Amino acid sequence: MSWYDTNLVLIQATITGLLLALSIQIPLRMGVFSFAGVGAYGFGCYAGAVLVLDHQMAALPTILVTTLAGGLIVLVLGLFINRLNGLTLAMATVAFDLIIGVVAVNGGETTGGATGRYGVISDFTMGHMWTILVVVMVLVALSERGKLGRRIDAVRDDPELASSVGIRVYNYRLAAFFVSGLLGAAAGAMNILVRSAITPLDIGFHLIVLALTMIIVGGSLSWKGAVIGAVVFTWLPDVLQVIGEWQELVYGVIVAVAAVLMPRGIYGLYVEAKRAVLRRRRTRRGAVRAAVAAERARTTDDDEALAEMEDDLGSPSVTPGGSMGANL
Amino acid sequence: MQDLLSVVTLGSIYLLFALGMSLTWGTIDILNFSHGSIFMFSVFTGYLILDLTTLPFLPVLLIGVAVGALMSLLVQVLAFEQILKRATNKKTAEMQILIGGIGVAIIPLAIAQHHTKSNPFGLRESSFELHTWVVGDLRITNIAAITVVTAAILWVAMALWLRRSRQGLALRAIGVDTEVASLMGVHRRRLALATMAVSGALAGLAGMLFTFSLGAITPESGDTLLVKAFACIILGGIGSMRGVLFGSYFLAACEVWVLTQTSGSWVEAVSFGLIFLVLLIRPTGVFGRKEVRRT
Repeated sequence: MSWYDTNLVLIQATITGLLLALSIQIPLRMGVFSFAGVGAYGFGCYAGAVLVLDHQMAALPTILVTTLAGGLIVLVLGLFINRLNGLTLAMATVAFDLIIGVVAVNGGETTGGATGRYGVISDFTMGHMWTILVVVMVLVALSERGKLGRRIDAVRDDPELASSVGIRVYNYRLAAFFVSGLLGAAAGAMNILVRSAITPLDIGFHLIVLALTMIIVGGSLSWKGAVIGAVVFTWLPDVLQVIGEWQELVYGVIVAVAAVLMPRGIYGLYVEAKRAVLRRRRTRRGAVRAAVAAERARTTDDDEALAEMEDDLGSPSVTPGGSMGANL
Repeated sequence: MQDLLSVVTLGSIYLLFALGMSLTWGTIDILNFSHGSIFMFSVFTGYLILDLTTLPFLPVLLIGVAVGALMSLLVQVLAFEQILKRATNKKTAEMQILIGGIGVAIIPLAIAQHHTKSNPFGLRESSFELHTWVVGDLRITNIAAITVVTAAILWVAMALWLRRSRQGLALRAIGVDTEVASLMGVHRRRLALATMAVSGALAGLAGMLFTFSLGAITPESGDTLLVKAFACIILGGIGSMRGVLFGSYFLAACEVWVLTQTSGSWVEAVSFGLIFLVLLIRPTGVFGRKEVRRT
């Protein structure tokens, strides 16, 4: 319990970082290269501060209102820039994020100018935070399974094919914008409620880089990747303090190497490794079973064993896991 | 009048910086996000060398050119070529190059930030001295004049080279269709390396001139400039030489105009807003042509 308390700040940062990373990962999974979630995050931070400080709202309504507003803003943005693609879309959303930052600097008393807003204290608890996180993660995980998951994969990998089998690609792309706005704004609102202060410097270009790094290093196609990335990049600076003065350089090298050599991230490596091991085990197991069956057939002249041997020789790679012990 | 002069000077810096980015993006399809870091690190190297000895103006510029070209080559060999080798299709390759560039850019930034503690650094130790000529009610610094002339000469040279020379033709051919170009005997890898080197050299040169005229830059200066250069390229149209010329000076004009009209804190929004507007109204840019892609 004491570990939990001493590291509470990092745990909170991990949760908001995870939601921010998801706000970029979800559109990416639908083939929409958009960073608008980071803009929504900036909006969420400021909207949360304004609602709590100027309108004395409680924590949960603040988060709810901010999240919905963020989602709508990014949805409207999506309506405008939906027809762009690839890099131009990415840069348009980067421009959107940076404009949010400039508006924050010039917002007068509402945003507090260059000093930002501070002293945002509310009745927000860690219980709220964990609940929101679990709800979001369950929803995200569900979107990766079954029919919806397969549709999303199709929209990403081959939009033309997807629309030819009756998937409304346009709606999915808009949904990607909306969801990324929701997630980004929720992350921002929670961030301001636990941090209690926000300045324009906090929502700059580096935030885009951070969120992107989390997904790329963690893995871009599964929420597990986002979790890995969020944990690694929230805790890495802390761990790297051991190295001392060159920690930023080491951090940079890790990001660069990951971006170049592991395009699918740590989770992607794990999936590939698992597949490779399974494949090798299957072929080996098939060979062992065939040998055992042949041996038994030779010694007992058992028809059943002979049939099994033929089965095994015919399809050595479809043996389900765990049947090896039963056979022996 | 003085404002017009600042427009031309600022636009020339943007042009030198954006020219390199536009060149690699328009021909070998590499949107190099470490361009800003290369820009900054060239100046940083100059700053370190000037700590040891005093050098006149020209050698300092040459250091910038050399460091920029070298870094750009390193990025191409160590990062982009590796990514292209592993990539399965064009779309993911594009994205990974973007991300790889961002990742690589962190390394020089971290080194410079660590050394300078994120404070501004400049080239004060150079024996170069700033002169100001007064013509009528105009004040022209010698560095501004040098910047404008250099940018103009390099732009013309580049445009002519791309249009007239055989290598220029080969490079443009790669930009249109890589496979057919290599069937025609274009050595893609060698040309890509050369293009990256030229682009990096331009970044280094722009960095030195920029720092001479401003006095100092911060390690983060590269990032800001990167987005602005992006705006310049988008404005004019990707891969168009006239486009990048137009974009650079147009952006500079807009920024100077906003600076004179408002308190100045909105200047940053100009480039972002322009990116947005152009992408909405005319995604191919002012001089861009619609991409023809056979399937």
